[in-house]
Amino acid sequence: MTAQQIVDPSRIEAELLKIWEPLAKENKMRASLFNLIIFNKLSQRTDYIRKIVEKVVEKFPCRTLFISEDSSAGQNYLKTAVSVLFPGATENAFACDQIDIGVAGANLHQVPSLLLPHLVPDLPIYLLWGEDPSQDHPLFEPLSQLAHRLIFDSEATDNLPAFAAKLLDLNEKEGFEIADLNWARTEGWRDLLASVFQPSERREALSTLSSVSFVHNSRTTESFCHLKIQSMYLLAWLASRLQWKWLTTDKAPFFTLQGAKNRVEAQIQTARHEKLGPGTVISVDLTWENHHFFAARLSDQYHVVKVELSSHESCDLPYHYVLGQTATGQSLVKEICTKGTSTHYLGMLRQLRDQKLC
Amino acid sequence: MSVNPLVEAGRSFRNIDPCIVVIFGATGDLTGRKLAPALYNLGREGMLPPNFACVGFARREKTHEVFREEIKNDLNSFSRTKPVDEPFWKTFQEKIFYHRSEFDDDAGYKALATFLNQLDAKLSTRGNRVFYLSVQPKFFPLIVEKLKKNGLIYDAKSGDKWSRVIIEKPFGHNFSSADALQKDLSKHLDESQTYRIDHYLGKETVQNILVFRFANSIFESVWNYKHIDHVQITVAEEIGIGSRGHFFEEQGLLRDILQNHMMQLLSLVAMEPPVNLSANAIRDEKVKVLESIRRFSEQDFKGTILRGQYGPGFINGKEVTGYRQEKDVSPTSNIETYVALKLFIDNWRWAGVPFYLRCGKRLPKRGTEIAVIFKDAPGVLFQQHGKKHDPNVLALRIQPDEGIAMKINCKVPGPSSPIQPVKMDFRYGSYFGQSPPEAYERLIWDCITGDNTLFARADEVAQSWKLYTPLLDFWAANPPASFPNYASGTWGPKEADAMIGKDGKSWRIL
Repeated sequence: MTAQQIVDPSRIEAELLKIWEPLAKENKMRASLFNLIIFNKLSQRTDYIRKIVEKVVEKFPCRTLFISEDSSAGQNYLKTAVSVLFPGATENAFACDQIDIGVAGANLHQVPSLLLPHLVPDLPIYLLWGEDPSQDHPLFEPLSQLAHRLIFDSEATDNLPAFAAKLLDLNEKEGFEIADLNWARTEGWRDLLASVFQPSERREALSTLSSVSFVHNSRTTESFCHLKIQSMYLLAWLASRLQWKWLTTDKAPFFTLQGAKNRVEAQIQTARHEKLGPGTVISVDLTWENHHFFAARLSDQYHVVKVELSSHESCDLPYHYVLGQTATGQSLVKEICTKGTSTHYLGMLRQLRDQKLC
Repeated sequence: MSVNPLVEAGRSFRNIDPCIVVIFGATGDLTGRKLAPALYNLGREGMLPPNFACVGFARREKTHEVFREEIKNDLNSFSRTKPVDEPFWKTFQEKIFYHRSEFDDDAGYKALATFLNQLDAKLSTRGNRVFYLSVQPKFFPLIVEKLKKNGLIYDAKSGDKWSRVIIEKPFGHNFSSADALQKDLSKHLDESQTYRIDHYLGKETVQNILVFRFANSIFESVWNYKHIDHVQITVAEEIGIGSRGHFFEEQGLLRDILQNHMMQLLSLVAMEPPVNLSANAIRDEKVKVLESIRRFSEQDFKGTILRGQYGPGFINGKEVTGYRQEKDVSPTSNIETYVALKLFIDNWRWAGVPFYLRCGKRLPKRGTEIAVIFKDAPGVLFQQHGKKHDPNVLALRIQPDEGIAMKINCKVPGPSSPIQPVKMDFRYGSYFGQSPPEAYERLIWDCITGDNTLFARADEVAQSWKLYTPLLDFWAANPPASFPNYASGTWGPKEADAMIGKDGKSWRIL
């Protein structure tokens, strides 16, 4: 990344061109697949969101417009800065523009009009809203109206049912494409569970599941403290897909559900791992009839799980399953940027909203 | 439950049946350069089923451990991701095995069956099999027959487990040998189990032809005889035949490149929209194109079809030998290393539009391209000294530097109005910023998932041979008079320029 240059808003494009002049001589290409608008309030989470953006840019070069609101500033201000990002290795032939907007107080309302001239025409516009969308914010509506796709992170919410309700409204009533970083982070586990029950003879077992248990990382950081969301997502996803009915939801972390043939006892537990991301699901445990399924991340390769499947009569040889680098990798970026809204995700959100699971 | 409720259609690509891939010819060049790296990269990206194994089948004696070590060395040399990811390799190599046998030895196949069953029990691979025949074509029928005889190929409709066979090119030497091979194979294999590989179809840019044509209405509406003047398809290589002298002396370039790869490109460019994206719907349309190609006459053989052979010359400033001086090549060889031809597709869409195809070795640069040249705009405006403007050209670059370029005419800034052609260029590498997967990765994965869209169907192969077999017969009966007829490092014989020049056109410079 080139050094950020603070510029007057009227000079944004001109200064970017200046930065590009020497880069063009080095045969760097100015690339952009889409416009990515990012909004967040300045906090410990800002660095985390910047890292997510870096990963997105690494896989899909795009023009980023990064808005940071300083809600603790005692004065109004609007500052703009420009820089050029080099995705991944610096020897890459392409690079892309980043426009930073720092704003506080009454200047907030100037942001949408400031953005408009800097959106690359004819390319999709994605909005990564780094805050809780269920909380009103004056910029949410004008920015979301610009966007073709809204990307959220449920980590930012303190009220999961309200978050779910808001996202469902955005999708069902206003027709927005939506994505969620926490949902993307569970993709590997969902794929694993789907693959376990892929053989036709094992599919019937889904209706006889009797217990499910998830363990997630209890380590917190300054930017991550809502730890059980990924586990809750997996449980609510199973409930949605298998049409379970919730019998008890008030004894968290223990839940009782009614499956097609029998009751399902669900449990969400924690364990502490220093090297894994906060809230990351560490293991999954399922039982049905006389079968037991257990999958846990390897201690030396966290993106790989060891899968064990046994019954009273037999015991399959354990195998390894690559979950993928869902915290930062390509699957995360693809999920949030290129795939349409997941119908499974919407079904899962309905469970969270209707059962007020939090 | 007939459908897995935990799978979201169109989003997850990882619910793949467990299986074992058996590679025949496991000590050959293709395994080390392409197949092993493809499997390794698929595994590394989590695209292989967790219950998976790969068994190398070959005639040389060696242990599993030696085979694994050789594969690892190949990965370090040829994988698109290097060096080998040690933690991943540690677990991946445990899924690689070696089985020694002669291709005609029943005992070897029985032992293979036993071994695969043991692996099924150990790795839960459930009896599913991919057999990759990376061997000389003469062994295809023998291996398939032995596999069937020893219970390794199941009935296509057996339901609970499956077996599929990937067959490397060349599929036959001419129409009758391809037909005979097909008859031999079909005694033991259903068409749904037969995967005739053409690695060109696994290239992202080739797959993109359909997306480009049918997901962009502006192009499809002008994709016909009303707007298109002609189409040029070029496959140019700067390399010679390398160490493939024996192979090339039997094959020649028409069989090696034109009859298969180039006809696949042609059929994708010229086909009608399929009724859906199923394998059969797409392949039905491709076959219709091949059926619609006007059969060549003897006049064409003498006039609009040119063959060439490279002589000595210079490539990138370095002197190179001629074809006849290459290793394992006859000093009087009449094998072609260059072909240029014109053909017509006699259907409504392409009535009267010539398709010019050329391919050659030891040309100035490497490049595969499909160029669609549009008809001129009416010349009443913007004429300069009676000179016509350049036509619009849409060029689909297949390799290298994959992308799409559009040539349009623009006004040069200033008070007068000179017009200059400019290029709008889309480059995969710049936009998507990552190397696309190797063609073999995609094709092996497709075979494991049972999708044969990107594999040639028997009738496609037959149609193509039907078209070219009379030409091959003519060539065999009429040896060329002036081989070698182009110098290495040039764009081929002068006659090829004259052939297209007669139509008032010229070959594109790549």
